[in-house]
Formats: sequence, C-alpha cells, structure tokens
Amino acid sequence: MNGLRRYYRQSATYKIFSGVLSELNRFLETLGKISLDGIETAKFIIKGQIDKKELIEQCYRFGVTSLPITLSIVGMTSIIVASQVALEMVKQGGGNFVGLLMTILIVREVGVIMSGFAIISMIGSSLASEIATMRVTEQIDAIEVLKVNPIRYLFVPRVLSGIIMMPPVVALASAAGVIAGAVTANLTSELGYRAFFDSAWLGIYMKDLGVCMLKAVVFGAVIALISCSCGYSAKGGAKGVGEATTKAVVWSFVAIVIWDMFFAIAFFF
Amino acid sequence: MSIEVKNLVKTFGSKRVIDDVSFKVEDGETLAVVGFSGSGKSTILKLICGLLTPDSGEIITSEGDIAMVFQYSALFDSLNVADNIAFALHERKEFRNKYTEKEIRNIVAEKLELVGLKGIERKFPSELSGGMQKRVSFARAIVTEPNSILYDEPTAGLDPISSTLIENYIVRLKEETHAASVVVTHQMSTITRTANKVLMLYDGKAVFEGTPEEMLRQDNEYTKQFVTASLEGPMHMLAEREEL
Repeated sequence: MNGLRRYYRQSATYKIFSGVLSELNRFLETLGKISLDGIETAKFIIKGQIDKKELIEQCYRFGVTSLPITLSIVGMTSIIVASQVALEMVKQGGGNFVGLLMTILIVREVGVIMSGFAIISMIGSSLASEIATMRVTEQIDAIEVLKVNPIRYLFVPRVLSGIIMMPPVVALASAAGVIAGAVTANLTSELGYRAFFDSAWLGIYMKDLGVCMLKAVVFGAVIALISCSCGYSAKGGAKGVGEATTKAVVWSFVAIVIWDMFFAIAFFF
Repeated sequence: MSIEVKNLVKTFGSKRVIDDVSFKVEDGETLAVVGFSGSGKSTILKLICGLLTPDSGEIITSEGDIAMVFQYSALFDSLNVADNIAFALHERKEFRNKYTEKEIRNIVAEKLELVGLKGIERKFPSELSGGMQKRVSFARAIVTEPNSILYDEPTAGLDPISSTLIENYIVRLKEETHAASVVVTHQMSTITRTANKVLMLYDGKAVFEGTPEEMLRQDNEYTKQFVTASLEGPMHMLAEREEL
C-alpha cells in the first residue's frame, strides 16, 4: 500500500494536481488577506481616523507625481488609435464620426484603463516595495510595538489618496487623449478640429462620464489596497520585497481588468 | 513594572522554538537572554511585546507600554529623527490630547540629550551611523515612558567602543526609567556590564539561569562552553546537529 502511495506521489498527475491545488490555495489566501485588509481600512475611513498630513503627502504622490506618465500613456495610445482609424474613416465617408468614436473610446475605456496601468506601474509598485521594505526591516513591527495600528497609519492615507486622486487624474488624461486624437486626425486625414469636436459631443452622455469617474474611484482604491496588502505580507529580505512588488503589479493589473469587465456588463451590456 | 513568563511554548511548523521557558524580571532589573543563533532568543522578545502569540503559557506584564529596541534599529526611513522619536506621541490619541506640539518638541530634545545626540532632530536615519541609529531607537523606545524595555542584540555589528557606549546607555536608561529590561545578546561585555540575571537558551529550552558572576564561574557545562566559545560541549550549531 505504501509502495503504491509512493509511486502515485511520484506520478506526473499527482505533481500537476498538487501544484494546481497549491497555487489555488495561495490565490485564495492572498484574496482573503486583501479582503480583510480592505475591510479594516474601510472601518478606519468610515470612523474618520485619518492622518491628514500623511493623506496630503500621499495625494501629492498619487495624483501629481503620476501625471506626466499618465498623460503621456493615454495621449500616445490615443495618437496610435487615431492614426490607424482617422484616415480610413475619412476615406470611407465617415469623417464626421471620427471625433465621436475617439471620444467614446477614450472616455469609456482607454482613459481610465490606461491611466490605471500607468498608476500601477508607477505608484502601485512603489507603494508595494515601500511597505514591503518596511516589513522586512522590522519598521512595521516597530509601529505595532509603539501601539499604533499599521493599517490605520499605512493603508488608510494611501487607499484614500487613490480614491480621491484617481478621478482627476483620469479626467485630465482623458482630456489629453481626446486632444491628442483630434490633433492626430487633423494631421493624418486633414479632418478639421470643428468637425472632430462637433461629433465628439454627440456620443458622450452624462452616464458615460459618471461611469468613468466611478471606475476611476474603484480602480484607485483597488490599486492602492492591493499594493499595500502585497507589501504588508512580504517575507524575507530583498527577494521578498521583489516578490511582493511583482505580486502587487500582477494582481492590480488583473483586478482592474476584472472590475472593468464588471462595469462593462453592468452599464453597457 | 515587572515581566513574568510562565511555561512559555511557541512552535513554528513542526519546530518547537520555545519549550516550557519561565522567568521573572523585577522592575529595575535587567535579564540577559543568551544562546546560539536560532535558539529562540528573539522569539521570546516578540512574544513578550505581543508581535507573536504563544501556543501556551503565560506572559504577565504590568500595565503600560512595553518598548523594544530592534536589532537593526528599525527607524522609519521616511521620517527625520525628531518625527521618528515623536512617532507614538503624534499617532496615539492619548498623547496627542496630552501634549502640545511645543511640548512634543521639548520631549524629543530631552530624549535625544539623554542618549547623547543633542541637535540632530532634522537628520534622516540614512545620514546617521549604525551606533547613532541605535541610540535614536533608544530615544524612540523610551518616549512613551515604558514599564519594560526589550533590547534585541543592541550591540550586534558595532565596534567595541560603540558597544560600550550602547551598554552604558542601557544601564543609564534602566536607572532613569527603573524599567524591567530584557537584553538578547551574544556579547559577553553586554552581559557583564548590563545584566543582573542571565538566562541561557538552547534548542528552545532554558539550560541556565543565574547571575553573570555564576555564569562566568562556568559550573554549568552549557555556560562553560558559551564562555569559552568552545566547539566541545553539549551545544551544537543547527547545521552541525543536522549532520549528526
């Protein structure tokens, strides 16, 4: 019987299944940890236990330092899309709809999702590595020994800054994207600015702007929470910091795509 | 203002790191916890200050704060020296209500003077030497006027003169605060200069408890091996044990 068990444990089937189960276990563990951290953070926010000085610093970090990269990424994505479609649409007689198409695309999807990706790569990774470094150098232990709640001190201002700053960042990035699209359409297909912006307004409703801002709030919270949580549960030394940062980036990317899909199903299906 | 530990047990996975350890430290006393790396010394400190939860046993401490000086200081990189020391005063409601900003500044200056580092409030941890960082972490630890102070290898990695300075500050803090202190160390000088009592751990168990003088007498085979730094004796390093 023991021989059979040993033989079974050496088989490829066992190794594959045990590997999958172990990954599933780690996935659920991380998901549970992030959810618990999120609940505790929300409790402090609801109770109003917010360090205002730290919040202002984090808002500056989240909103201001990320602007150049966010505007560039959304602007360049818009240039790429406009340079591909504007000339073709004008050739096919759809010139009057270039502005409409570009604006719907940017306001509903490109502006918010590309800003999310830019924020993850710049701010999310830095939040995760900062908190992971604090964990492995015992700074978080020191916070606990000094009887200060690390979730209140570290998570609350960061998550709240994500919620507050993501909407203006997305709004500015989307505006930059629409302008970049108009300029590109003009340069590639000689489509007039007036024709572009006249049609741009036609396809945009208050619902689109509202959903865009709601998405920005959710993405800001999700990115900051996942980044903080992954950093907070880091283990070991430099390797642990690297692993926590990678985990934060991957989880944030996947999470905002999943949330984006939920928004698409809920509001545009 | 004392620390009492009764039949403490802590297990990580299948490894029993602390195995039925008991001791008591009265106020104004300093206990040195000594032993090999991996013998469970730092775990004891983490259990006392609540960073870890024991599997069984009891830890009785008097009301009030327990401070800890970490092995690598654990100063907050993003805060300057003044904000590091005043961290608990700024973040904890009871202190925010008790002190004005000016009073906090005065407390910080007073604690810095106590550890011989007057006037470095605006410096950041990265601008300080290892010994200075350690002294700032002393100042941060005592800012809440704790009843007990725990030191995790306070002289590790320091030159002999800096070590002596740190040891003098441990004695001075004990005299100033009259706190019950526990010092985890490998260093004989730290044991003899700072401690009233010594507890030696091996494989999670207490193998010696007595005064530093009794330890130096080498009546116990464990203390004899530790004091003479001999490879011969009842204690084997973890790697060696695995080979045996």
